[in-house]
Amino acid sequence: MRSDRHILLTLFPVYSVIVGLFLSGLMMLFLGQNPLIVYRDILVFAFRDIYNIADIFAKAVPLIFTGLAFGFAYRASLFNIGAQGQFYMGCLASVSCSLYLSFLPKPLLLSICLLSSLIIGGLWGSLIGYAKARFNANEFLLSLMSTYVAIAIMNFLIRGPLIEAKGEYPQTDVIAQSAWIPLLIPHTRMHMGLILALLVAAAVYFILWKTTLGYKIRAVGMNRNAARFAGIDEKKIFVSVFFISGAFAGLAGFTEVNGIQHMLVQGFNPMIGTEGIGIAILGNTHPFGIVMSALLFGALKVGGALAVQVSNISSSFLGIMEGFVMLSVIISYFVRQRIMSMLEKRRLQEESKVKAL
Amino acid sequence: MSLEDRDIVVKMTGITKYFPGVLALDNVDLSIKKGEVLALLGENGAGKSTLMRILYGMYRPDGGQIKVNGQVVNVGSPKDAMELGIGMIHQHFTLVPVHSVVENVALGAITDPKRSFSMEETANEIEKLGQTYGLEVDPFAIVNQLPVEMQQRVEILKALYRGARVLIMDEPTAVLTPQSTEMLFNFIRDFRKAGNSVIFISHKLNEVMEIADRIVVLRSGRVIGEIPREKASEQELAQMMVGHELGEIKLRAESQAVVSKAEPILRIENLKVKGNLGHWAVDSLDLEIFAGEIHGIAGVSGNGQDELTEALYGLRPVSEGSISLKGTPLTNCKTRDIIDLGVGYIPADRHREGLVLDMSVEENLVLKGFDLSPFSQKGILQEGSIRQYATQVIESYAIKTPTPDTPVRYLSGGNQQKIVIAREVAVAKYLLIAAQPTRGLDIGSTDYVHQMLLRARNEGKGVLLISTELSEILSLSDRISVIYRGRILKTIDRRDVNIDEIGLLMMGVTSEQ
Repeated sequence: MRSDRHILLTLFPVYSVIVGLFLSGLMMLFLGQNPLIVYRDILVFAFRDIYNIADIFAKAVPLIFTGLAFGFAYRASLFNIGAQGQFYMGCLASVSCSLYLSFLPKPLLLSICLLSSLIIGGLWGSLIGYAKARFNANEFLLSLMSTYVAIAIMNFLIRGPLIEAKGEYPQTDVIAQSAWIPLLIPHTRMHMGLILALLVAAAVYFILWKTTLGYKIRAVGMNRNAARFAGIDEKKIFVSVFFISGAFAGLAGFTEVNGIQHMLVQGFNPMIGTEGIGIAILGNTHPFGIVMSALLFGALKVGGALAVQVSNISSSFLGIMEGFVMLSVIISYFVRQRIMSMLEKRRLQEESKVKAL
Repeated sequence: MSLEDRDIVVKMTGITKYFPGVLALDNVDLSIKKGEVLALLGENGAGKSTLMRILYGMYRPDGGQIKVNGQVVNVGSPKDAMELGIGMIHQHFTLVPVHSVVENVALGAITDPKRSFSMEETANEIEKLGQTYGLEVDPFAIVNQLPVEMQQRVEILKALYRGARVLIMDEPTAVLTPQSTEMLFNFIRDFRKAGNSVIFISHKLNEVMEIADRIVVLRSGRVIGEIPREKASEQELAQMMVGHELGEIKLRAESQAVVSKAEPILRIENLKVKGNLGHWAVDSLDLEIFAGEIHGIAGVSGNGQDELTEALYGLRPVSEGSISLKGTPLTNCKTRDIIDLGVGYIPADRHREGLVLDMSVEENLVLKGFDLSPFSQKGILQEGSIRQYATQVIESYAIKTPTPDTPVRYLSGGNQQKIVIAREVAVAKYLLIAAQPTRGLDIGSTDYVHQMLLRARNEGKGVLLISTELSEILSLSDRISVIYRGRILKTIDRRDVNIDEIGLLMMGVTSEQ
């Protein structure tokens, strides 16, 4: 009975996606569209051909990373909502290496790009962890604000030292082919970054549940006091968790710049951090769940982009739909907490009744 | 409505309140009569404040009913409470420090937006109220420039201005000097004479005896007893507050008494530790614990016990003095190092401090050893070794759990505590600190915990037992120290124990006085 309930609660995010789609459907009705047709179109387009299917995966890659960034920190009960900024820092690191070190052989160049985005994203994130450990700063606010600082740094670099040779638009030159991440399926956009993302997701699982570091992270996340009483140094955990979390978001910068865009355009992909939060919650902050929900979002993006072209719905409606799904996912998180707390309450009351007898 | 009920202003029945993990109030009944001072007595965490916050609309009860003047009411917020004539004086004042007295009193009291607000009028009313009740205060003074007792007056005036007929006072004397306490009591008497009621929350027995008409004792979220003041004695109240009838206690454990008194296991000298409020929670405390003894610390909670154990375990900075374990200094060491030196700690609150409820039984069993061999190697957890160890402990401690994988949350309190004890006994090579180790446990589990503590002692470990249950201290300890206001008043050998003396020491009464 109890385990049944447990499964029902774990499936909560799935219900919330359905609720989100239902609400978007109501909205479409107001706009005079038949939601069933729109959803059918989205499905049909998303899986129409190998190119579109491959694109789902390509779109999912950065979302897996930012989802993992939020989800990993969340396991330590820390809120890293600055994945957007860490992503931009990763982009900058990777594009700089790609532009300035293009003479290097491809494997070496790609490794350097990967590592630099990982390290810069991680260091940018660990500043937040350090401030929390040292000054007991609020990591929620800090990570939020750090995104704006990262945007400012990006604006400065892209309009200054990194601007394209023509100097016309705030964007970099296209990076040399030697810095491009090889494709997995030719003539699509699905690149080897997908494998990296899946490996990182597997690594998250391994770190969290198979290592002493993961044990500490979970202990701090689930009961900071008990962890302290057990001699676990929570301050070290804050810094390392934020480093790792930031590194994940930084890696998204590497795969986006070197795998998809092959250049850096000022302020691109501005929703990737926020989407990561929704994806992490939708995926129960479990790496497997995060991969799955990133794929769902990828499919919505690919199918949606094409579906709006054949219907009269404006393309901005996709954003609204995504918003509805995210909103209901996030609300479902609180509803689930409430239900779990109610169950616990009932259990305690039953227990005290038994005691009274 | 019966004749008797007509006098009852507030009647709370079956009040139950749950907080995550604990049942804070369990079916509590309480009624307050007109013209009565009711004292709510109980230790920290007994549920006094929670009960009163429910009456004042700050918390919603999870069960039960509140009647005011015979009418069932729904107190959803302090605003509702004030409309019903219930006011509350909080321990921490709820004044705007940079505003004047008038502004503070008027804040929130002006509910009719159409009525114009006159500063002078309000000031006059405040002065009038002040004269009636002997609570004079300059209405135009800025609150943060007033001394504490005057700020308390403003709080009281605020409640009176809104027409409070029932005044809840949460430990109002904690911040007062004896003289201002006397003035406060005069006010309470005047207020009562006018047919009003006061609920007085305290754990100071002498004050309760002085001011209350009726005393209700709460313990662990339940009403333990209700006595009219004439029939109450300090001693009896102390017993109700801390636990069993003191006279009934049998001294259980025969002391092994092979205590080598040459070198203590733990030596604490002149220890000073600050509490959360910045006061000296532990104040020049000396203590020695020997191998093979259970050393009981008796005292009413809130006398520095928590701060003492936290300082011992590296969880709270030591300001002065020293702690040493077998000659090795422990003062301000890291918790991790103290654990590795062989000090186990059964914390008072197992849900908050002792266990990670959402982790499994086996994970909790290795909470202090997961990073040591054989449970991990090169940073990788060795699940096989952990499982093997856990299975063995589950069997030898008879922990009732479906699997070693089950989250601890789903175990009963007794089995949860067994996990903590199994773990800490394994850690404690030399010293085991046990704070309230049987709080909230049933008789069987309590007995089991006691056996474990005795076994640790018989194995030659030093055991520091901190408990507010005097019966527990008396039945287990080889020596007993009484803590009061952060100091050890006296250390007594078990054979020389005089229960009345300990009871009085706990209230701060030494035989010299």
